Amino acid sequence: MAGIKALISLSFGGAIGLMFLMLGCALPVYNNKYWPLFLLFFYILSPIPYCISRRVVDDTDSASNACKELAIFLTTGIVISAFGLPIVFARAQVIAWGACALVLTGNVVIFGTILGFFLVFGSNDDFSWQQW
Amino acid sequence: MAGFLDGFRWPECEWFDWGEKRNAVASVAAGALFFTGWWVIIDAAVMYPSQEMMNHSFHTCGVFSTIAFFMINAVSNGQVRGDAYGEGCFGRTGARLWLFIGFMMMFGSFIASVWILFGAYVVPKKEVAPGLAVFFQNALIFFSSLVYKFGRTEDLWG
Repeated sequence: MAGIKALISLSFGGAIGLMFLMLGCALPVYNNKYWPLFLLFFYILSPIPYCISRRVVDDTDSASNACKELAIFLTTGIVISAFGLPIVFARAQVIAWGACALVLTGNVVIFGTILGFFLVFGSNDDFSWQQW
Repeated sequence: MAGFLDGFRWPECEWFDWGEKRNAVASVAAGALFFTGWWVIIDAAVMYPSQEMMNHSFHTCGVFSTIAFFMINAVSNGQVRGDAYGEGCFGRTGARLWLFIGFMMMFGSFIASVWILFGAYVVPKKEVAPGLAVFFQNALIFFSSLVYKFGRTEDLWG
């Protein structure tokens, strides 16, 4: 276990990010438009390609492989989509620009948290699924 | 006069170890470009929903670009050179033909998007933003496929 402190700070980061997302939806000045909650779908989807590629290709001697690069490509796409969706919502005047800004801030925090999770807990040399 | 730039070298970029991370950086860049292209057209489709402002058939350019992206990146450079260990469905010639058709579709979509921009928006003096969106979508997907195909090196695949 790479540290309780890291785990707690990551979970704090996640909570702050979700707080920004909910503020962007629920503040009365933004008229309770809950459309940004669709971003939760992107948040949940973002670690999946990388985890699948880690599981499928067990190739510890080569530095990289095509599956891992495709997973990185798709993950970048999911992150870009999570930034694009609130901007398109705001341009279509479905949500206010202030709500969009809050949601984008929440995005940055949450993706930073997910990245931090992978950096801190991801690089196990003897990675095995039994420890879960 | 002919070789006056021969001594010119870009400043060294030692702060980042490009070696092992080159493929990951190229994948991130390609992913960012590709999906930005699609979000540009999604934005245009939301802002200009009617057929007059943006003809819905202009979406075909982006669809063909995307198909071409996956065709181009489905074959590895090793298969085209002939030194991949497996035979594959059609061997080296098949890989070359697939790549050829893929690149033709990609170039064709890119040229079509420029044609759409000028032929359907600039010349008739309509509001140009949807035409620009089609152009940028296809340009971004084009550059994304170039980065994904040529920015990665297969030496790192072991």
